[in-house]
Amino acid sequence: MNTYNMVKQEFIKKWITTLHMLDSSVEHPLNVTERKNAIRLSSDIAMAATRSGATIWSRALISRTRKYTTTCKPVAHRILKKARNRMKNRCTTITRNGIFGAKMRVRKRTELLKSLVPGGELIYDKDYLIRETLDYIVYLQAQVDVMRTVAAIDSVTRDLS
Amino acid sequence: MDLTGAFGARSAAVGPCREPPGLESLHLGGGDGGFTALLELPPTQAVELLHFTDPSPSSSQAAAAGIGLDVSPPPPPLHAYGALTFPSNAALMERAARFSVMANEQQQNGNVSGETTTTSSVPSNSDRVKTEPGETDSSQLENNRCGKRKELDKKARREKINARMKLLQELVPGCDKIQGTALVLDEIINHVQSLQRQVEMLSMRLAAVNPRVDFNLDTLLASENGSLMDGSFNGTAMQLAWPHQVTETEQSFHHRQLQLQQPPQPQQWPYDGLIQPAWGREDDQGHGNEHNSLMAVSENLMVGSASLHPNQVKMEL
Repeated sequence: MNTYNMVKQEFIKKWITTLHMLDSSVEHPLNVTERKNAIRLSSDIAMAATRSGATIWSRALISRTRKYTTTCKPVAHRILKKARNRMKNRCTTITRNGIFGAKMRVRKRTELLKSLVPGGELIYDKDYLIRETLDYIVYLQAQVDVMRTVAAIDSVTRDLS
Repeated sequence: MDLTGAFGARSAAVGPCREPPGLESLHLGGGDGGFTALLELPPTQAVELLHFTDPSPSSSQAAAAGIGLDVSPPPPPLHAYGALTFPSNAALMERAARFSVMANEQQQNGNVSGETTTTSSVPSNSDRVKTEPGETDSSQLENNRCGKRKELDKKARREKINARMKLLQELVPGCDKIQGTALVLDEIINHVQSLQRQVEMLSMRLAAVNPRVDFNLDTLLASENGSLMDGSFNGTAMQLAWPHQVTETEQSFHHRQLQLQQPPQPQQWPYDGLIQPAWGREDDQGHGNEHNSLMAVSENLMVGSASLHPNQVKMEL
């Protein structure tokens, strides 16, 4: 369980950081929806930062969230630059995979999966898409686990005080 | 116990040195790049190896279900979407996490082994496919050769895709019995959607309860400062902190405890690089203190919050 725990540990460190950054930057929104968006945004950025730009979905997530915040821009730029240096050999838009026969169902579902995974629309290679999905699922699960635990701890400390 | 046996078998399966025989000579990328080395194997052998490891997850599932006590009862109010945490989920996540983390590490080390060669082999595939129309005016013999090469390429890619789909099938719970790519993709899509919805719901929950964005960090810091690295809490509180994970046996538990005591040096470096400019902008005074306490918080979160109620701890035990 050590690798998965390491993943979760990295994620929570980065999440704490991004939460602080967001909280100091934004004038305190009173709305629940805004708060939820801020929390979701910070946790998405933290998740992508934990993957540190080695995958397409993490970079797409960062560039997607860049629209919503201005303070996380330096962080996002740093991660993207690091990713660009590291990913020189990675060829992402390769060639359209040949679709022989009537595999329309698979095709349709692949399109749907592409829409779910951030940055998936850019991937033409089905092989690569599956690898990205695998990675994304692992990190989504880590995110869910950490958030669930934090919520549990939070509720328990709330009951105590 | 059975679970450690299954874990041991599975971790051995990731490395290259295991039966079926004939693969022992293949030391691709050493032991740490195990799974990417797996993908570099000739496709039939890779599929065979994956099939070979298939019994172990199912046997561990059966073992876990049969034993019963290793699967902790679903913790009360946490699962709003039903039990997505299956008994063998922890091991599968570990394996998949190792796969993705190994891929990351290999790129970081600039290691030219399984990962980058698989990606570089794909551009070569595309190059070959792209030169196809350029060679239409060549002789009949050359056409035949190009056609055969294209077929072989396609078959290799299909095998690779199938191998990865198998791993995805194992990762997504309840996917092993399904035949057919479309249905498996359905399950994967459902899983990803449900995970995203869970994140949404959890962030809404965290937002609704707390009046501020950095919700409970102050309370965490306050509670953790009183009981940092308290040895007596480690045993019980750790189980409570991650209650839905498969509870390990004594040996692996102590092993993990030992590992947690050592401060993770290489992990701190990227973290430092990340937060120092940010902190420099905001608060220069409390930099050192907050940094240390944040480290302590994150470490203690893994160990388990010490402020939890003792009754709940007893319930978990």
